[in-house]
Amino acid sequence: MIDLQNIHKIYPTTNGSLVALNGINLRIKRGEIFGVIGKSGAGKSTLIRCINMLERPTEGTVVVDNEDITAMPEKELRQARKKIGMIFQHFNLLSSRTVYDNVAFPLELQGMSPAQIKDTVMPLLELVGLETKKDQFPSQLSGGQKQRVGIARALANKPKVLLCDEATSALDPQTTKSILSLLKSINTKFQLTIVLITHEMHVIKEICDQVAVIEGGEIVEQGSILQTFTKPQSNTTREFVSTIMNHDIPAVLAEHDFSKQPQPDSNLILRLSFIGHSAEEPIIASMIRHFNVVPNILFGNIDQIQNTPYGTLVIELAGEQQSIQNALNYLRSKELGIEVIGYVSRHARAIG
Amino acid sequence: MSQDMLVLLAESLWETIYMVSVSAFIASIIGLPMGIILTTTAKGHILEQPWINKVLGAVVNATRSTPFIILMVAIIPLTRLIAGTSIGTNAAIVPLTIAAAPFIARIVESSLKEVDTGVVEAAQAMGASPLQIITKVLLPEALPSIILGLTLAIISLIGFSAMAGAIGGGGLGDLAIRYGYQRFRADIMLITVIILIVQVQVVQSCGDYFSRKLNKK
Repeated sequence: MIDLQNIHKIYPTTNGSLVALNGINLRIKRGEIFGVIGKSGAGKSTLIRCINMLERPTEGTVVVDNEDITAMPEKELRQARKKIGMIFQHFNLLSSRTVYDNVAFPLELQGMSPAQIKDTVMPLLELVGLETKKDQFPSQLSGGQKQRVGIARALANKPKVLLCDEATSALDPQTTKSILSLLKSINTKFQLTIVLITHEMHVIKEICDQVAVIEGGEIVEQGSILQTFTKPQSNTTREFVSTIMNHDIPAVLAEHDFSKQPQPDSNLILRLSFIGHSAEEPIIASMIRHFNVVPNILFGNIDQIQNTPYGTLVIELAGEQQSIQNALNYLRSKELGIEVIGYVSRHARAIG
Repeated sequence: MSQDMLVLLAESLWETIYMVSVSAFIASIIGLPMGIILTTTAKGHILEQPWINKVLGAVVNATRSTPFIILMVAIIPLTRLIAGTSIGTNAAIVPLTIAAAPFIARIVESSLKEVDTGVVEAAQAMGASPLQIITKVLLPEALPSIILGLTLAIISLIGFSAMAGAIGGGGLGDLAIRYGYQRFRADIMLITVIILIVQVQVVQSCGDYFSRKLNKK
């Protein structure tokens, strides 16, 4: 649906040039909710603006719905933009127009008759739950309501793509949740492709199918949500994931020295991650039954990502070194993520 | 006060109202598009044209930095060309208009620049043409502020019009100088000043009222 090929964006500044985007390649499928996450200044705003040419890339092509919009003359581009809706962090509603007239605005631009406009606007206001507010002005609405007007306005032209520029960053957590579920339902209802940029990982976790992590104008990691959350590859991704999932070593272990190699009289500290059906298997119980080891759970967390259960356990294994190794091999034969945090001297620890 | 004096006062009041309203009207017609051009051709705006912007900006500044009394005398040939005469109320309208138009242009420019760039961006994202952005976004969003600015311009014009007496333009200011000052008629002086104050008050109140009524922020 959206294909970004080798996008570069360079801003000339007084002291040299500033590279905002440095060779971005992205492919976004029809009907997908695609999240781009990055810190401020990473280039995510520029990236999303390249999709509808609010920012013209210095180099590279943008193909939306099989049309190369980088090559379009101004007039054609304006037509193409009507098929790409956009919502904003600060809503950007017209303060001089009522809720109804704000939603009608894109249709007025097309020269639609008032009767036709009414037939389009009213169902949209119902969809976003604002039919009773239609004659109010934006200043009389709350942030969440303003964003709902923004969404209705963006949908008025029946777009194929919806771009969300930090759409929930100015909203409180509850409102964010309701806006995200509205976006999700629109996505399923209209088979609408949604691209959203954010700096909040929970937004990605809540509704995205795919995620790309952007840093310094480059995509450092990209993949399905489950894969990215459970096996983050880059440091930036790990940082983002840790904002909502605890990947730190538990505090009780922090002051100990770890060795990566098995030491005599040492306990093994492991981080196990369970995904999907492996989360439902009694792996720890059968490990205890088969091997002469004593596990101690130091940290545990079970969460859901896109309806898939996902759990993390940090355990400490005590016992004969040989038994520990056998248990480790047993765990490795199972479908789980295993990270050896290290061996810690038994004397330093109270158990075992 | 004699009957004659009252007639004179009424006539002068009418002359002031006539000069100010006609020149404010024409100056708005000229100043509004100038303000729009000044805004939209600026760097980073929808019709970026740095050269047009610079030239127009310089013209506006030049006109605005000339004191009105000098402007009025300096453009007498132009006044004669347009009004057919360089003396009288109609002749005064020419310099008043020329002085007010760039003033209004700057007022409109600053009002339009107050419009949130995000709103313009949203309109662009919806496929609005530059003309649509001007007529459907910039002007309606800036209208309350433009009205306050025009109020300011009209009040300045009332002040300028007092100088129109210098070219026989008539009006309250002229009356105050000729009768109140030169003929030591303190009562005339007082009454014209009071009328001028009331006039300014009325204009300001109207401007405030309409601006507030239109402001939905």
